[in-house]
Amino acid sequence: MEEDDNPPIAIPMDEVSLEVPTEPDAGAPVGVTVITGYLGAGKSTLVNYILNAQHGKRIAVILNEFGEEIGVERAMINEGQGGALVEEWVELANGCVCCTVKHSLVQALEQLVQRKERLDHILLETTGLADPAPLVSILWLDDQLESAIKLDSIVTVVDAKNLELQISKHADSGSFPETFIQIAFADIVILNKIDLISEEKEATQIENLKRKIHGINSLAVVICTTRCQVDLNKILNRESYSGESNNRWEELMEESKLLPSSSRHDSGVSTLSIHQPYPVDLDKVNGWLEDLLWEKRYSMDIYRCKGVLNVHNSDQIHTIQAVREVYEVVPGREWHEAEERINKLVFIGRDLDLESLENSFRGCLTIT
Amino acid sequence: MAGSESGLACARCGKPAVLQCPKCMELKLPREGAAFCTQECFKASWSSHKSVHTKSASGTDASSISPERSQSGWLYCLKKGQMRGSKLPHFEWTGPLRPYPISKMRMVPDHIEKPDWALDGIPKIEPNSDLQTRVEIKTPEQIEKMREVCRISREVLDAAARVIRPGITTDQIDQVVHDATIAAGAYPSPLNYHFFPKSCCTSVNEVICHGIPDARQLEDGDIVNVDISVYYKGVHGDLNETYFVGNVDEASQQLVRSTYECLEKAISVVKPGVRFREVGDVISRHASMCGLSVVKSYCGHGIGELFHCAPNIPHYAKNKAVGIMKAGQTFTIEPMINAGVWRDRLWPDGWTAVTADGKRSAQFEHTLLVTETGVEVLTARLPSSPNVFPWLSS
Repeated sequence: MEEDDNPPIAIPMDEVSLEVPTEPDAGAPVGVTVITGYLGAGKSTLVNYILNAQHGKRIAVILNEFGEEIGVERAMINEGQGGALVEEWVELANGCVCCTVKHSLVQALEQLVQRKERLDHILLETTGLADPAPLVSILWLDDQLESAIKLDSIVTVVDAKNLELQISKHADSGSFPETFIQIAFADIVILNKIDLISEEKEATQIENLKRKIHGINSLAVVICTTRCQVDLNKILNRESYSGESNNRWEELMEESKLLPSSSRHDSGVSTLSIHQPYPVDLDKVNGWLEDLLWEKRYSMDIYRCKGVLNVHNSDQIHTIQAVREVYEVVPGREWHEAEERINKLVFIGRDLDLESLENSFRGCLTIT
Repeated sequence: MAGSESGLACARCGKPAVLQCPKCMELKLPREGAAFCTQECFKASWSSHKSVHTKSASGTDASSISPERSQSGWLYCLKKGQMRGSKLPHFEWTGPLRPYPISKMRMVPDHIEKPDWALDGIPKIEPNSDLQTRVEIKTPEQIEKMREVCRISREVLDAAARVIRPGITTDQIDQVVHDATIAAGAYPSPLNYHFFPKSCCTSVNEVICHGIPDARQLEDGDIVNVDISVYYKGVHGDLNETYFVGNVDEASQQLVRSTYECLEKAISVVKPGVRFREVGDVISRHASMCGLSVVKSYCGHGIGELFHCAPNIPHYAKNKAVGIMKAGQTFTIEPMINAGVWRDRLWPDGWTAVTADGKRSAQFEHTLLVTETGVEVLTARLPSSPNVFPWLSS
C-alpha cells in the first residue's frame, strides 16, 4: 500500500467523532414465522407457495431438521418479483451453550438479516418437531436484546383428511396424536386439502374440524385452504409475541363470544377460559402464574396461556403471554371509557381443571 | 473537547496535542503516538510516523511480533480455536487492542481427572443433560465437593492476581494458572472446552470476556480480568476478577469498582424464593446509576458436575428468566459492565468478545450456593487473598 511522502492534513481533535460506530441499519426487527406440521400435511407446499407467489416481499426460508446433529442449515431466499431463487448456507455455531444468552440459531438468523440488503420475513420450516415449545423459548427473545429478529407466529399446517382419521381413531382412548400438540401451540392453523373432503359432507365436516381445532386451541385462527393457497397478509406480520401489539387482546376480547362456558375435565389437549371482573394484585398474579407454570400446581400441564388483566390501581390493560414456563405480563394501552374492565385468561394444555384455576385465581383479587 | 483536555502530548515535541493523524483514525489505531500540536510537527514526523499505517494494513505477521516465538510455533488463534494462522486476521477492530500469537497448547498429566472435552474439544455429556432444563438441588455431599473445588479455584485466581504487573504477558499469567491448577490436582476447565486453547480467560481493556492468553505484554494503565474455572473430583468452580495494571486512570478505577458493586448488590438479594430474573434488575439499576451499561449477550449459569447448565441468569433488566431460587442450588453471577455502549462484537478467533465502541469493560464473578436463609459465596476471598482492591483495604 503506497503512501504519499506528504502527510495529509491532521484533524483537530474536537472534530473527531466520539460517537459509537452506528449499528448496521437497525430498522424494525424481521419477523420469524415457525411452520410446523406433519409430513404430507403440506408444509413444503405452503413454503413453495409463499416463495413463488408474486407478493413483492423478500422472504428467506430456513429448512431446519431437529433431532439431528446439524452444523449448517440451508436457507432459500426469495428474490421478490420475477427473481430467481437463491440458495444460501446459514452456518450454526458449534452448539456452545457456554453462558451465551442467544442460541446459535438466533445468532445465525441475525447474521442472515445483517448480510441481506432487505429481508421482509423469515420462515423457519421444521420437520420432525413434535413440540414447538422449546423453539419458541429460543426465538421469543427479551425486548432488551434489541435483536434484528422477532418471533412473529407459529403456523401449523394440518391435513384435513388426515385430521378426521386421527380424531376418530383416538376418540375413545385417552391418548392423542402429536398433531394435537402442534395445534395447541399454533397461532394459526392452516387446514389444508379441504378439497379432499367429500363434497356432500363438506360444509358440516369442515365445521366439525374447526370446532375440534378450537376445542384444543380456542385462540388459533383457522384458515381453510386447498394446496395451501393462502392470503399472505393473514399469516405474516401477526406480531403474536409482541408485548404491546394491539391485535392480541382485541382478539381475546372477541373470543369470549365463542367459548363454551361449561367446565371441562379433559385428559386430552383442551382449552379453558376464566373470567373475573374485579381488579387483581399484579404481584399475586405473578406468583399464581409461577405456581401453575413453574411448580406445576394442581398437576396441570399448561402449554399456552394468553389473557388480559384488570390490574388494581392501573388504567392500563395488562396482557399475559405464556408458552410452557416462559411468560411475561406487560402493560399496554389504557382502558377506554366505555370498555368493561375484566380479567380474562385462556389456558391451553392437558389435564386442565376449571375449578382449580378459578378458585386459585380468586386469591389474586384485591377484593375477596 | 479541546486538545489540551485530551491529556495527549504531541508525539514529536511533547506540547499539548490538538490535532490527530487522519490515517490512524481511519485504521482505528491508538491516538497515543498519533497526536500532534501543529501541522508542522505532524509533517516533520511524517516519514517515521507513517510506518505505523503500513504495518497495520498489510496484516501483522506473527514473526514480526516476536521472531523467536513464531519459530517455536506461536500463531494467531482462529475459528474458535480449531485453527491457527500466521497472519493477523483482517477485522474492523473496535478499539486499540489487537490479538497476539498464542503459544502451543499445554499438557495435563495423566493422573488428573479430566472432563469429557479434554481429549477432543467436544463436550458430550453437558449438551444432552437434563440439567440444561431443570435446576439441580445439590446433596450435602455435592455441596462439600463444591466448597472444595471453589476454594481451589479461588487459590488459583489469587496466584494469578499476584503476578499481575506491567510487562508480563497474558500467556505468562496462563502458565501460572495452569501450573497452580495442576499442582492442586485439578483440571483447568476452559482448556479445550469447545476447542478453547488456554487454561483461563484473560480479558484486557475493551475485551468483555473470553479473551485468549497470548504474547501481548500488559501495559501500565491496563485493566485485566482473569477468569478461572477448575474441575476437581467431578465438579467445577468458576470465578473472575478485574485487576489494575500499574497506574490506572480515574474512569477505569470507577468502572472496575462499580462492577464489583454490581456483583455485591446482586449477591445480597440471593436467597430462597427470589426469582432468577430479579438479578438482572438489581445489576442494571446500579450500572445505570453509575452511568454504565450492562452486557446482554452473556449470562450467569448453573454449575456443578456440568460447567454450564440451568439456570440461565441474564444481567440485564426485564428478562424472562424462568425459575425461583431454592436452597441447594449453585450458580454463578458474573456481570460484565461497559463504560460505553452495551453491544458486543466477536473477534475473528471466535471467542474474544469486545465492546462495539472500543471502550473498556470490567467483570467480576462468584460461584454461589443458596442456603436456607440466604447465600454462601463459595469462591469468596480468603484471608490469604492478595490486597489488590483499594476499596477493600481498610
